[in-house]
Amino acid sequence: MSEILGDLKKAVLEGEDELAVRLSEEALKANISAMDVSRTIISGIGEAGELWKKNVYFQSDVVMSAEAFRAAMEVVEPHLSAGESGTAGKVIIGTVAGDMHNLGKIMVIAMLRAARFEVIDLGEDVPGAMFIDKVKDLNPDILGLGCYMTTTMLEVKDIIKDLGQKGLRGGIKVMVGGVPTTQEFADECGADAWGKDALDAVEKAKQLVKAVS
Amino acid sequence: MSNEMQYDTERVSRIFGKFYESDRPWIEMGAQMHDHAMLLEKVPVKKFYWDANAFLASLYEVAAYYKIDRPQPQADNYNFEVEALGGKMIYSDSAMPTIDHRDTLIKGPEDLHKIRTPHFYRDGRLLYNMDCVKFSVNFGNKAGWFCGPFSLAVGFVGYVPLLKNMRKRPQFTKDLFDLIIDKVLIPYIRTQKEYCGVTAAFGADAWSNIPHLSVAELEDWIVPVNQKLIAKGKEIGVAVSCGSGYYYEENPDNLNIDLLFKSFDIQIASRGGLPYLTIFPYMPDFPYKRVLEYAAKYRDNAIKPIVRVMLDARLLRNGPIEHIVNVIKRDITGLARDCELGFFLSNIPADTPPEHVHAAVAALHTYSHKPIAQNPDQVEFHLPHFQTFEDWKNDNK
Repeated sequence: MSEILGDLKKAVLEGEDELAVRLSEEALKANISAMDVSRTIISGIGEAGELWKKNVYFQSDVVMSAEAFRAAMEVVEPHLSAGESGTAGKVIIGTVAGDMHNLGKIMVIAMLRAARFEVIDLGEDVPGAMFIDKVKDLNPDILGLGCYMTTTMLEVKDIIKDLGQKGLRGGIKVMVGGVPTTQEFADECGADAWGKDALDAVEKAKQLVKAVS
Repeated sequence: MSNEMQYDTERVSRIFGKFYESDRPWIEMGAQMHDHAMLLEKVPVKKFYWDANAFLASLYEVAAYYKIDRPQPQADNYNFEVEALGGKMIYSDSAMPTIDHRDTLIKGPEDLHKIRTPHFYRDGRLLYNMDCVKFSVNFGNKAGWFCGPFSLAVGFVGYVPLLKNMRKRPQFTKDLFDLIIDKVLIPYIRTQKEYCGVTAAFGADAWSNIPHLSVAELEDWIVPVNQKLIAKGKEIGVAVSCGSGYYYEENPDNLNIDLLFKSFDIQIASRGGLPYLTIFPYMPDFPYKRVLEYAAKYRDNAIKPIVRVMLDARLLRNGPIEHIVNVIKRDITGLARDCELGFFLSNIPADTPPEHVHAAVAALHTYSHKPIAQNPDQVEFHLPHFQTFEDWKNDNK
């Protein structure tokens, strides 16, 4: 049992997505609980994050690890009971209209899921109206808006303004992130937090949810 | 063909061209500013990014307004080749075209046949880009522009799939890079030589930097590919270089000198041996002395290294002005007396207040005025009288 989980953690850490999927399936077949498999996968991405902090891992390493994490979690999540996943809060995330960049978002999603957030990824080039509709329908704790161009970052202001005009702003926290963004920009937009990078975003998300509860 | 193009050359030459008539007594300010110029000139996206005439006239007008010495007359160098070969794009009314990475042109070896030599005068917006290059040749800038091999591979395949392929399908990845060089980039550079009159060509390659890639990935994949391109460029008489290997680190606790020096090695190898070092000193205690220490080994061999300082676009946007001025003064103090220096406003954000750009340019021109003062604190700096862009245009009709 511990050998499979050890190999699984290593596969996630080293970004071996196909191997991580196979080992997750094997672990479940070997009657290891979905919760234990999930914890192992999370510890793999967690260690990748630690190595990133220490300059040992580069972005390419973390992204590959995040991909392995995502692939392995897809195997395990259907086997988790309702109370075992997404307990930290619900996050809707997407890249704003006109913008296709998603590298930062990939890492943020992986780190949020590893921190037990339920994450709904709307993808890239997401029209402002879709963010509003999804907030209305899914009632998340946090809305994450990613923008990676200096023209598309202007969309963020409109979306936050729209949330307010539609009476939806009070119920959720809004986070922004992406290369051209700063704390100053987040303040200008009326966002609740700015994620400097994926690790920072997760810490801020935890704080925002804690502040509400 | 662009014979039909009508540049407003008289105006641009009169207003902007005067900067090129004599040596300037200060360190030059370069700038990438397409989105900002578009917004300031209120040019519609669909005109600005398709009509070279509109693009150039606006860009140089804004550059003259700010007294920017060397505007980069390119829109974006990461999209043209992929678009020309049929890659899926996102076209919006508010931002420049961008590649749709959700549905890439190349998904596996079976798609490699899609990488062919484009028709440079017909496909996509390649001619638009070449017209921009051609126009800048008039001002003595004889360098063409293209998308660096790794960033182009990202455009064709996507960043994550490309990383996976580098690890799991090295032969496919190698074939991809070979096709990129032989079918796309060398013919494109050759065409820029013939059509625009360039003698050099630079490949923008923001994807192939630290920390996007590890040092090992850069050394094992990117440097050999860049060097192959450089060698083939030499065969057609063009000095090719690629902007790979920059090192971004904003956290002083994480700044690693070994990585910085490795980054310099990779940059030089990607520029055909030219010691042209780009730095991002986005922290108060940036180790300028270590940069000088690295550069010294070239100076000892009678080669003058050039250090290009990238100014933080977010600082430029957010200000305050005093901080912008102090950062430029700090960078000059740290480096300018001991090496050749260039400054670059790296992609001025679209909604940057014009006062901030004016302050940055004035600070550079003042503190770097030659001979550069031993004690910059004794140099008097005055913010230039501010005029709105509209007022300035009225005064310079």
